[in-house]
Amino acid sequence: MDRPDSRLTRRAALGGIGTVLASGGVVYGASRLDSESSESTGTQFHRSTESTGVGIDLQGHPIMGSADASLDLYYWSDYQCPFCRRFERDTLPKLVENHVRTGTVRIVFIEYPYLSEASMTAAVMDRCVWRQVRDGTPARYWPWHSAVFEAQGEKGSGWASRSNLLEITRRVEGVDAAAVDTCMRTRGPDIESSIRTDVEQASAFGIRGSPAFVLYDPASEAAGKLVGAQPYDRFETAISRIQNA
Amino acid sequence: MSASGFDAHVSRLLAAVGYPLATARRTLVTAVFTVVTYCLMVLSTFPAYSMQMLGADLGYVDEALLALTANTYRTVGGAGLGLIVVYAVTTGVALTTTLGRVRNAGPTGVCDLWSVLPGLLASGCASCGAGVLGLLGFAGALAAMPFEGNLLRLGGIALLVGYLSRVGHPRRCELTSTTDEG
Repeated sequence: MDRPDSRLTRRAALGGIGTVLASGGVVYGASRLDSESSESTGTQFHRSTESTGVGIDLQGHPIMGSADASLDLYYWSDYQCPFCRRFERDTLPKLVENHVRTGTVRIVFIEYPYLSEASMTAAVMDRCVWRQVRDGTPARYWPWHSAVFEAQGEKGSGWASRSNLLEITRRVEGVDAAAVDTCMRTRGPDIESSIRTDVEQASAFGIRGSPAFVLYDPASEAAGKLVGAQPYDRFETAISRIQNA
Repeated sequence: MSASGFDAHVSRLLAAVGYPLATARRTLVTAVFTVVTYCLMVLSTFPAYSMQMLGADLGYVDEALLALTANTYRTVGGAGLGLIVVYAVTTGVALTTTLGRVRNAGPTGVCDLWSVLPGLLASGCASCGAGVLGLLGFAGALAAMPFEGNLLRLGGIALLVGYLSRVGHPRRCELTSTTDEG
């Protein structure tokens, strides 16, 4: 983040992203007014239907944190990626505690399934779970998301099979596994197509692996990219830099 | 390959492997080559991450190495990580042997150095895995390969072993007997 080549500004790095960012001049603040939120486990989630200034369409993505947070952290992950699990275990809790709950940062969860077909299965189920809970109890997404990462096994071992993921879902309170199963059968292809669009957009951002992050300040339009399960202090530094940009 | 030809290859391979262990200095040089090779290979499994971490502060090198070693283990398993270690050791031996050859044979030894480089690079890329492919835009390509790319890693090691069995001990010259020629 503090390296010149890793910072994305309107002119430098984001310029390289091309049309994705060229079209990203949406007024950001107004877009958040229709966001919904709820509180359960101390972690606030909400939904939004708008696009951000860097061209991220928030439709369909779980968003953790306050709708009024001053910074966005776009987080691309694959449920089968061990490095993502490392980030979720070592860094994410501190980020949530120190920046999300305080209202500074909101995290947008974006699926980036690239390791195998099972990654896509988990990604589609993720979106189905979010569709189910986003209007009434959006915070129920978090225990499901955590439970899947907790259950992460060896790639190809079958842990991310549809049946096993549904079994995990049944154990998560507040999520209807039968409805998720129905969603996967009826809406799966559409959701998969939408996820593939997200993956293509991630490639346009120069993302080649996961986890990957873009930190964005809508007010100053400053942005920066972080890749991999970097330690918390690297995120802390990145947040300070973007805030002071 | 005849039985005597095979024996000669094995003999030269053993001589080449034994050469770095003959003195403490050579062993140390080999160890340094091995460690550097391992670090480069592990860091190159996720180049963008490594560059950001080390670019921010070289003090993150231990964190990056540990994180990527753990990630490699989780991604390609113990066999894949083992192959990377074997590749690093083999590279250490090959480089030390080649250096010895250059020192002893002079300019003609340089040809050996050039001959080993393509093999090192090709097999190194095969061994490091997803990183280089990822940089080229083929995220997850290695994961789609047979045995998570372990077959490629094995191929890389085979190339190096083949090189060592050809060059043998850098301070010995082999004379072909006249009976063999006849």
